[in-house]
Amino acid sequence: MDCEVEVEPRPTSASIRRTFTLRNSAARQATVNFMPSRQLPYNTLRLRRNNSEHNALLEEVVDAVDTPDAADIIVREMEQHHRLMEDNPVAEELRREALRELPQCLTMKRNVRAKLSASVSLRSKRRPISMIKRLKYRISFAWKRARDRLRDVIFSIELWYEAIRNIEGHFGSAVGSYFYLVRWLFTLDLLLATFVVSFLVLPQSMHDNTRNHTTETSVLDFISGKGRLEDSLLFYGHYHDGLLETAGPLSYNMPFAYFFTMVCLYIMSFAVLCYRTAYSYRRNFIETAGGLSHVFASKVFCGWDFGIVSSQAAALNANSIYNEFKELLNEQNKKQVNMTFCVKFGHTMANVFITSLVLSMIVAIEYGLWHLLSAKPSTNYWEIVISAVVTLVVTIVPLIFHGVVKLEYYRPRTAFYVTLARTWLLDIGTLMLIFVYWVRSGVECWETRFGQEAYRLVLLDAIISLFVLPLVEFLRALVYKLNPNTPAPEFNIAFNSLTLIYNQAVLWFGMLFSPLLVVCVTIKFLILFYVKRECAMRACRPARKVWRAAQTQTVLYMLVTLSLFATLFGVGSLFFGTSSHACGPFRAYEYVYAVFSEGVLRLSHHHTARNFLTFITRPGFIAFLLMFLCVSVYYMRARALAQRSMVQILRHMLILQAKDKDFLLTAISKVSSGEWHYNPKMAQEGPDGHTWKYLREVRKPSNSDFNFDASRLSHSYVEGRPRSYAKDRPDSHYARSNDGDTDSSFSWQGSQNNLKDVEGAKKWL
Amino acid sequence: MGQGKSQFTEEELQDYEDLTYFTKKEVLFAHQKFKALAPEKVGHNKNAKLPMVKILQYPELKVNPFRDRICKVFSSSNDGDCTFEDFLDMMSVFSEMAPKAVKAEHAFRIFDFDGDDMIGVSDLREVIERLCGPDLKLSDSDIQQLVQNVLEEADLDDDGALSFAEFEHIIDKSSDFCHSFRIRL
Repeated sequence: MDCEVEVEPRPTSASIRRTFTLRNSAARQATVNFMPSRQLPYNTLRLRRNNSEHNALLEEVVDAVDTPDAADIIVREMEQHHRLMEDNPVAEELRREALRELPQCLTMKRNVRAKLSASVSLRSKRRPISMIKRLKYRISFAWKRARDRLRDVIFSIELWYEAIRNIEGHFGSAVGSYFYLVRWLFTLDLLLATFVVSFLVLPQSMHDNTRNHTTETSVLDFISGKGRLEDSLLFYGHYHDGLLETAGPLSYNMPFAYFFTMVCLYIMSFAVLCYRTAYSYRRNFIETAGGLSHVFASKVFCGWDFGIVSSQAAALNANSIYNEFKELLNEQNKKQVNMTFCVKFGHTMANVFITSLVLSMIVAIEYGLWHLLSAKPSTNYWEIVISAVVTLVVTIVPLIFHGVVKLEYYRPRTAFYVTLARTWLLDIGTLMLIFVYWVRSGVECWETRFGQEAYRLVLLDAIISLFVLPLVEFLRALVYKLNPNTPAPEFNIAFNSLTLIYNQAVLWFGMLFSPLLVVCVTIKFLILFYVKRECAMRACRPARKVWRAAQTQTVLYMLVTLSLFATLFGVGSLFFGTSSHACGPFRAYEYVYAVFSEGVLRLSHHHTARNFLTFITRPGFIAFLLMFLCVSVYYMRARALAQRSMVQILRHMLILQAKDKDFLLTAISKVSSGEWHYNPKMAQEGPDGHTWKYLREVRKPSNSDFNFDASRLSHSYVEGRPRSYAKDRPDSHYARSNDGDTDSSFSWQGSQNNLKDVEGAKKWL
Repeated sequence: MGQGKSQFTEEELQDYEDLTYFTKKEVLFAHQKFKALAPEKVGHNKNAKLPMVKILQYPELKVNPFRDRICKVFSSSNDGDCTFEDFLDMMSVFSEMAPKAVKAEHAFRIFDFDGDDMIGVSDLREVIERLCGPDLKLSDSDIQQLVQNVLEEADLDDDGALSFAEFEHIIDKSSDFCHSFRIRL
């Protein structure tokens, strides 16, 4: 292809842009590569072909990979990093990393490695190392090897690897991320279930062996969790409140086991979730936030989902990218026409109106539920009716929310988040309501009742999500097959993910009161995975719109974490309130937390410790702690804001620097091609001769002598900007109009210096 | 993975593990996949060089709009033909464990069609055309406008092309890149 590609003037810039030839820019790039900043060793060892000093050499040898020269060059480059060349395991690990990052083929890497290790052993001064150091190295080695082996094991036992890969290949990574969420929750619950079963259920069932049951269980009993099930391992009330004697001299303290298992599990899950959410938030929101927006560029470079395998999905992906490009361009062209204030106001009003409508709807639903709970008709199995209503509400109302959001004026992604938030509010509100109802009901052994409620909700939801919804999806697929004009059934990631989150939230709430619930939910997720996979593969088509998975996933994890947080709040307040004295492992204690304070610490016997505890639980002290937390959060936030604005300033400075460089390079090339009318007399004037030359020649001041208007220097800045530099707000430096002329891109620091010169000159005149 | 094991010694596997982002099991798994592309050839010589046409039979590459570029970038002979080591290298870069910077480096080479170390206007046009697939064609002025927009957003030093640093900056700020630039083994 030809090298002479002209860049069209940008539509937004006011004046004509210089035209470049690629050859010119390549030469320019070569010059840039010799700048000191490019010559500094990078902290990563990646050999950038374009910033290597041996650029030309490398290119020569690139064709013949096995030639020793190329490897020699890389080795020489690497040898400049002293940390890498030390003869110890840490440096060796660093070398390994550097080798992996090398953008060369394996043969080359191997070559480089051989040379490097030869060079290292040549350099190393064989010194006897101390015992501690040797131990340290040995530990780090063992740790590394263990990690590698663990990864090996994980790869071979990775659950549903092929299945998820298959789904990703057909539906893109967004649908894949739903299945990752299922898998992740399943693994977490499996872990929880293992702990619960081994520490609570097994000991209790061994204790139960001595008793025997006779009553029968009906189907309705099974669904409602009443009858025989009520006093079984399923629920809180059944668990023993004292020591479980064993044959030997050992005994098992059930209240302790129950308390500590639950507290540890809750805290552990919370820690894991927080870490996971924070990590994902940092990666997908913080690190990518701020600065320049790359809407078009990221669409172009990150548009294709490389994991796609089916040609149908590929065609759809291409189609959706095409449509997105069209939409973006349309939007851009439309942007010229500003929305009138009235229309904007109308949109906002509509959003506010519908949001308040939705909120009042949620409140109304909660109100109705409260009344339903309080109503006590004499029918048996009234509880099943309540649970069925709750399940229907949390299944159907989100669908309404999905519809309602289409009436509002949000961007698609915002609309999605808004729907998520509303649905989550509904779910958590409902669960909280039921929890609060039972806490305040004062019914004897209400914990078991709440446990039953959670059990019923999980069971009924299983019926819905394992049977009803797949049936609906298959029916839709059938309708589509018979009549292809109807919209194709797509995999609704939002709705399905919210079902998962709802289930997990029920589990968080119910786990304390129904230990075996975690096993139920684990089994349910296991089945759900296969059901959803079949649904997706057989009934659904790939989505028409490309779905950005990364940020959505973060939001989903965030919602799971928030549900757990709400639960912890509820459970925590319960622990400090009274517990039921009729049943459960804590019936011997007045408060649940007394298991810890009395049972373990025996505070009533230690006066100082008790006084200390009463002191730190006083409202004044807690208020002080809260204040302290608030102040530190405020401080952190202020720091973050300051740093953010600093980053912004630095980024703008970088841009200006780039423009400076560009300007200087242009000037140099002008000089070298003889365009510059050089006046030797001016050059002798002093070190600033060139500056003066520049000011005279390029700026072309109106008067030919030194006495020119200083304001001309600032012509590149926004019109109407005050001429005084000192009073200027820093941000106005950057809000320059791009007048296309690179000569105008003086950095502001530079202009200030020049201004001083100019003022000096004025005085001198 | 029984048959794969016989073709590699423990040292070779360790070597691959050191040089790529894969574990030994994954290397063997990758070899299985490679072998599936041309069973008899790879059966004779585990590091056989397969022509590009064969490599493009790999399901993910088959539908990828940049398939020939990918092969060329990773091919050690620069003509698109790949040995097993090249294939392993490719899969390692596309794997989940590879850091963003390594992926960006290779993505840059893939998108740099004319090989001048800059993603210029012609490269961008090519990328956009390939993205939209063989059936859909954006009009010339649309492509023009898209290219302008990309340059306006990302071309910091105003030279009408994206250098590697500018490209890396885009990738750094994109949360979707790691998600999309990934082929699971």
